[in-house]
Amino acid sequence: MYDFLWLVPTLPFLGFLILALFGKKLGKTLSAFVGVGSIGISALITILIGIRFLSSPPEGDAFVQTLWTWIAVDRFNVNIALHLDALSLVFTFVITFVGFWIHLYSVEYMADDESFSRFFAYMNLFVGAMLLLVLGDNLLLLYLGWEGVGLCSYLLIGFWYKDSANGYAARKAFIVTRVGDAAMAIGLFLLFYSFGTLNIQEILTQAPQTWSVGNNLAVIATLLLLGGAVGKSAQLPLQVWLPDAMAGPTPTSALIHAATMVTAGVYLIARMHGIYELAPVSMFVVAIVGAATLLIAGFAGLTQVDIKRVLAYSTISQIGYMFLALGVGAWSAAIFHFMIHAFFKALLFLGAGAIILAQHHEQNMFKMGGLAKALPVTFWTFLIGSGSLAALPLVTAGFYSKDAIIWFAWSAEGGNIYLWAAAVFGAFITGFYTFRMVFVTFFGQQKIDVSHFPKWTIHVPLIVLAFFALFGGFIELPGTMGHFTLFSDFLKSALPAMEEVAHENVSLEYFSQILTAVLALVSVYLAYVLYLKKPQIVTNFTDTGFGKGLQQFFLSGLGFDWLYERLFIRPYVWIARTNKRDFIDLFYVFLPWMSRQFHYAFSYTQSGKVRRYILGIALGAVVSITIVVIL
Amino acid sequence: MTASEILKMMPLIIVLATPLITMLIIALHRNHLTTMIVSVIGLVLAIIAIPYSKALDLTKIGELLIIDNYALFYFLLIFTATIAIIIPSYPYLEMRFKGNREEYYLLILTATLGSSVLAASTHFVSFFLGLEILSVSLYALISYLRQTNEGIEAGLKYLILAAVSSAFLVFGMALIYSQTGKMEFNALMQFFSNSSKLNLISIVGLVLMIVGFGFKLAVVPFHTWSPDVYEGAPAPVSAFIASVSKGGILALLFRFFSQYDVLNSKPLFLIFALLAVFSMFGGNFLALLQTNVKRLLAYSSIAHFGYILVAFLAGNNAQNFKGVEAATFYIVSYFITIIGAFIVVGIFSTREREAMSVSDYRGLYWRHPWLSVAFSAMLFSLAGIPLTAGFIGKYYVLASGIDNQLWTLVIILIVNSALGVYYYLRIVVEMFSQPEEAAETKHPSPSVGVMTGLILAVLTIALIWLGVYPTGVIGAIKISVMGL
Repeated sequence: MYDFLWLVPTLPFLGFLILALFGKKLGKTLSAFVGVGSIGISALITILIGIRFLSSPPEGDAFVQTLWTWIAVDRFNVNIALHLDALSLVFTFVITFVGFWIHLYSVEYMADDESFSRFFAYMNLFVGAMLLLVLGDNLLLLYLGWEGVGLCSYLLIGFWYKDSANGYAARKAFIVTRVGDAAMAIGLFLLFYSFGTLNIQEILTQAPQTWSVGNNLAVIATLLLLGGAVGKSAQLPLQVWLPDAMAGPTPTSALIHAATMVTAGVYLIARMHGIYELAPVSMFVVAIVGAATLLIAGFAGLTQVDIKRVLAYSTISQIGYMFLALGVGAWSAAIFHFMIHAFFKALLFLGAGAIILAQHHEQNMFKMGGLAKALPVTFWTFLIGSGSLAALPLVTAGFYSKDAIIWFAWSAEGGNIYLWAAAVFGAFITGFYTFRMVFVTFFGQQKIDVSHFPKWTIHVPLIVLAFFALFGGFIELPGTMGHFTLFSDFLKSALPAMEEVAHENVSLEYFSQILTAVLALVSVYLAYVLYLKKPQIVTNFTDTGFGKGLQQFFLSGLGFDWLYERLFIRPYVWIARTNKRDFIDLFYVFLPWMSRQFHYAFSYTQSGKVRRYILGIALGAVVSITIVVIL
Repeated sequence: MTASEILKMMPLIIVLATPLITMLIIALHRNHLTTMIVSVIGLVLAIIAIPYSKALDLTKIGELLIIDNYALFYFLLIFTATIAIIIPSYPYLEMRFKGNREEYYLLILTATLGSSVLAASTHFVSFFLGLEILSVSLYALISYLRQTNEGIEAGLKYLILAAVSSAFLVFGMALIYSQTGKMEFNALMQFFSNSSKLNLISIVGLVLMIVGFGFKLAVVPFHTWSPDVYEGAPAPVSAFIASVSKGGILALLFRFFSQYDVLNSKPLFLIFALLAVFSMFGGNFLALLQTNVKRLLAYSSIAHFGYILVAFLAGNNAQNFKGVEAATFYIVSYFITIIGAFIVVGIFSTREREAMSVSDYRGLYWRHPWLSVAFSAMLFSLAGIPLTAGFIGKYYVLASGIDNQLWTLVIILIVNSALGVYYYLRIVVEMFSQPEEAAETKHPSPSVGVMTGLILAVLTIALIWLGVYPTGVIGAIKISVMGL
């Protein structure tokens, strides 16, 4: 079964090629079959490989499939090879499995779009690039996938390119992530320079021998990689692109937020854990970035009116949790939350898409309302997703995954009480804004009539994902509740385990769990009171000057766009404007001018006269002979 | 000559026999399609004979020829390239030429024979023979479309200039022979290597020979003929000159110097380095603002042979064949791209004129997405964009240069790669930009024959295949170069 691994990334690429080349001729039905089918078969193969991996793990707990050698010159040796271990298997599973349901859903969502096949072509390419990223055995393939993901996000965010605002959002996403990518590229060069190999496993085994803990190079390299990770994963300070990325079609958002793109940073840090462990400073920075991001994004989520923007900020915040977990060294907890998050976030986005479709493409929640009756399946599944996001205790998967992170933020080696407090407070905010969204959208008066009732292609993905958002958490139970560690045991072969250290103080763990559980319930109740029962409290507050200011501040995502506009964009544009004619520019004007002069000079020799040509040959011969005679 | 020697020479013999048979067929029954098919069958048979020839142990055929793995590799390359040129020639001639089309194939086949003799020759005599078989066929081929003035002009120019260059070449050979008394390459180079310092007359002889080489490879300052000839010749013939004709000479150049380390001889190194530098800059600068696609390809081909000379300088002898390996891979990728590009030019030509102006390609994507994608792939490869064969070729050339610390040449090569991107992408931009309304009627849609389309598709796939999976071809090149 393992030998079929190469098909997993190849099929989406093949789907992309077919759709890109023949898309128009195929028509919508066939395009849908190709687009959805390629991912579906990939997912099927992944599941079969996963079953085999669980029943009889390969030698050394990793399977490497070397397809061929791309370039081999001296020490620079690049294999086109795939590396499957527990970590990449989890990612591959989520990407293909969740990706498949999103693709199926898109068939209905995009049914009326004239660029139907183009959409599926991009989506397939997106999935293929992401698979290459997580399965690549060396840094070059990883980087190729990384850039491919960046390109696809650009294409999909700006999918409806006729509206210039969408093009702007696409460019913003591309340029902001590029800042991180530049840092990451330098980090990769540094790793290649230090270890002389691009193979990730070789780097990870060599690193502890070459670098001692706290080595400067290790710190620099990991911080540079972190730069790439915060760009792709929309973490502080590069989180500004994600809310605007909502410009793309909703299934795109689901794909970006759940299965691909934003989780790339989490994967990168988890994959490079061996180097991060050598740089405790960087680990601490990762944790701080995570904690700060989860709070900031949480605050921003409190006041959003666009249903997709609420979800966007919740993604930033949830990825913040994953970074926090990575930073404190709770590797498997981060990956666990990644998986659960993928289920419920895909569910929420698809649900939001169904709502938007039903409401004449209205995205403002406050113009909706009372949809619970009209769209029962959407409502119940959305409720499950929201419960999971808000980490409602015991019944949702989100509770188990988030609880683990919150607990590790305190108890793990790199954790402390401040990180824990931030995580707990973040959980409270999450519950509040999530259920604010649920109450506003589904309860109260229905304001817009329902224009589109979803069919099975929307319902089935919602139900399947809801199932996983509910029960996916039971594969890993905390120490206080049976201590069932299927998931982290599975990951142990790829990532260092840490349960032993973390489960010493049982009473504290109980305290932490009960506190978060209670806070989650309180937050839901609070949302109920403020947005359903007595909305005048909120309006009274926002009518005051302070309240209004705060609302605006949160609405703008805590003013980061405003800050960056003044800090970077305006000075940059100003410098560019005033320096239009500076001497550096002159050099670049000079280059084409000089090239052109050379062109004219050389063209003069091309006279078309044979006698001149013979003269040229003779002169060449004379000069050559002169050289020989003199030397 | 023994039986096994004849067997060994079978690929050459088949290529020799094919034009003879073709001639007979023309005499009996003049038919364009039949002639083309017979020519292709002959070349396919020659290719089939290559592995059988490889299986035989002996290599040397008398004094004049050597059929080793290296020669066989070039045979394969040359024959395949000729097939890829002949097949699209059929619709091209059907459209553009009214007279007798059949002799065209005769001439192409003899030219191919000349080029393959060059790849297998180890002696001044066979060298000169091969060269003249090639050249004489080309004179006629270039002006084959005799109704056009450009064709006649190009043919005449080539005739005069090639004669001049041959004079240099033969005079160089004579000077060397007068000093050494040898005409066989190996013996010659041994003689040179043994004498501590070359005497002036023999080294002047070498230089005059380099002039001859330089002319055929069209490196600056011996390049002036190439844009005029490329422009005037029919598109498939331009492809033939750019690929098969130059490939044969290059194979001979590598073989000629394989026993002699150019790096160690200061004057020779300097001359080759200057040729390389001038060719890179000259070719690229000339191409920069060129609006005629055929001339542009001629100039770009000048620059590409500059790159190849860098690789040649980086390692051409038995201790270090990396450079020749790199250059050979480069040649393979260059063959694919340049033939593909000229096929596209041929497809777009009309009865009256060839599609030479860059503006003819404006908005091509909207009319012929497939063709323009194939053409873009060719141009990307010429520019050395990753995932195409051109990138890998350039990468290997650079790596071999860096390996021998030829920093100046390497830096110049990089600068020139940047220059090249400009004019290749200019055509791509033209193809993908929106056409004006009026243009629709101005360019009637050409029809692409099944076979031509197939050849183009194969070339495009090969191009990407080599860019993604170069190992196979590199392995074959390593083996073939080892025996030099």
